[in-house]
Amino acid sequence: MKASKLLLIFVLILSSCSKESGNEAVKTGPVLLKLTHTIEGKAFSRDSLIYLNTAGNQYLVSNIQWFISEIEFIKSDGTILKPVMDDGIFYVDTDLPQTCSIHLDEIPSGNYSAIKYTFGLDEASNSSYRFVNPPESFMFWPEYLGGGYHYMKLNGKWINKDGLIAPFNFHLGIGQINNEKESGLNINYQFGYKSMYDHCEGFNPPFLLPEVSSFVQNYFEVSQDLDFIVDNETESFIKIEMQIDKWFDGSHVYNHDDWGGSIMQQQNAQEIARENGLNVFRLSIDNN
Amino acid sequence: MLRQAWIFYVLFIPVLAIFGCSDKAEIEQFKTTPYLIDIPFPFPTALNIPADNPMTVEGVKLGRYLFYDGRLSGRTHPDSLMSCGTCHIQANSFEAGINHPVFSGGFVHGINGDRTSHVMLPLINLVWNFSGYGWNGFVYPENTNNDFRNIEDIVRVAVLAENELMGDTNHVKPLFQNIEGYPELFQKAFGSQVITFDHIEKAIAQFVRTFVSTNARFDKYIRGELQLTQSELNGYVLFTTEDGADCFHCHGGSANPMFTTHLFYNNGKDLSPDDPFDRYSITGNVNDIGKYKVPTLRNVALTAPYMHDGRYKTLDEVIEFYSSGVQLTPLIDPLMHHAVRGGVQLTTQEKADLMAFILSLQDDSFLTNPDFSAPVKFPDEN
Repeated sequence: MKASKLLLIFVLILSSCSKESGNEAVKTGPVLLKLTHTIEGKAFSRDSLIYLNTAGNQYLVSNIQWFISEIEFIKSDGTILKPVMDDGIFYVDTDLPQTCSIHLDEIPSGNYSAIKYTFGLDEASNSSYRFVNPPESFMFWPEYLGGGYHYMKLNGKWINKDGLIAPFNFHLGIGQINNEKESGLNINYQFGYKSMYDHCEGFNPPFLLPEVSSFVQNYFEVSQDLDFIVDNETESFIKIEMQIDKWFDGSHVYNHDDWGGSIMQQQNAQEIARENGLNVFRLSIDNN
Repeated sequence: MLRQAWIFYVLFIPVLAIFGCSDKAEIEQFKTTPYLIDIPFPFPTALNIPADNPMTVEGVKLGRYLFYDGRLSGRTHPDSLMSCGTCHIQANSFEAGINHPVFSGGFVHGINGDRTSHVMLPLINLVWNFSGYGWNGFVYPENTNNDFRNIEDIVRVAVLAENELMGDTNHVKPLFQNIEGYPELFQKAFGSQVITFDHIEKAIAQFVRTFVSTNARFDKYIRGELQLTQSELNGYVLFTTEDGADCFHCHGGSANPMFTTHLFYNNGKDLSPDDPFDRYSITGNVNDIGKYKVPTLRNVALTAPYMHDGRYKTLDEVIEFYSSGVQLTPLIDPLMHHAVRGGVQLTTQEKADLMAFILSLQDDSFLTNPDFSAPVKFPDEN
């Protein structure tokens, strides 16, 4: 009896030792990503017609909804860590403060030197109907325009060339290349559960709308250096700042008077936004 | 001592036995059956069902009786009866409709003739609404006031309001307590024959949450069950393009099949909005002046008059407003970017195509679903 008790204690000690050493191998810590939205370095003042872009447009911003996805942490030794998350896609909404914080648990401890992520959704992820619940489902991008979801809705107003306070929808997503009609339809995208043209014999878009021949993926990856440490004792706070003004003042000067109030069907504007977007985001350690 | 024991055995034990039987019977009777809402893809899977009022077959059954029972007003005179079903007509998507025999033009009022502040909104797919009820969203889940959070609360508001049922909960409870058959139904739904207004609210709310529409022509088209006409398809493209009619940001589409976001917008109806019951009256945010909830377009042909004040009698008038009548007001929503040219500027053909598509959102099976209809008999008539 005594011997068996001793054996049991011995086994327990052994197993607890092995568990401890296992824990040491996978020490992890929490990381909080704070998503902020600024103009000229300060949190934007909603619906305030006080901002001026390089093109000379006086403008305001009402709200922004967007997706960030495919977040990766890169260690100093080059190791890439993809934080474990449901589907790796996060909806951010300036009207919903809870969406502006992303809590990541169990990030392996260590020194990191960069973060990489996708603005919007990449082609593989951006399939229609992947979100059935609001608010994500409200971001759908119509099938005729390429399907999937808006990468971003940035809604505001500007004083246009006629002096009117005009609304703008700076909505980014899949772009379209329009057909010149004579070559016929050459589209292969899904509408509902079937290809639109399997599904709609005789379909003929209204004459004012151009026929679409192909689509353009306008999402982009952002990779930025940032030295930060993850440990198991304190939470790391990292700020991902969308500098809203940079959408309009980057490698291209974006003039609302040139593009008007809506750009979902203007691939040239989407292209400008994509190129300016590469410099829109700023990373920093945030311990406030 | 012996005499006392005799009294105990003769009187007390049978009494205990009777109570024991009654308790056991009550416990046995109160077994509810979960009511499951059929959710076809791609409708939302998140449902607005309060934790303290789960859907049950028994609760829905009771709610159906109450919804249509004119005695919910607390009155019994045939000329003064009013129920939810008095105004919420199934054939009109549970709105009064412009053809209502009593409420001329679809403008509802209470027994004293007082009109409601706004025209009605239809009771349809509310189980998917998390953004507040009413044109201004005065009842919403996050409300710090517990009495204005969900459909249950709207039942109470409707019963009490002078311009609706103009009832009195203190009359309603004893009235139903004494109607044969109702206490038993409450027992089955909530485990007690004692009728409370809380249980009345809950039962009706459960019934209203069953009003789910997922079988319009467009739904069937998306499921590959039928083909839409060319005009309907053209209308859908117009509906979902910014350079077309640009309806989809607020009114949804195939991937938001509710055909509303349930959110609040100023759509440029008035240069100087002066309605004291707009969204601003709830939030106090000046940017919400002139904002109202976006109604669903399902069955919309049956829910005239349109806009919060019923200013348009026909869908043609509504389409014309969005085509050429939008006013560039200071507080117009940014999504209304076409306002700089007065609207989306549709041609006659485009208006016809858009109308054809909108009519494809009519769900006839919803309008005739016997599960939603008035019961043939009320409990005391069985």
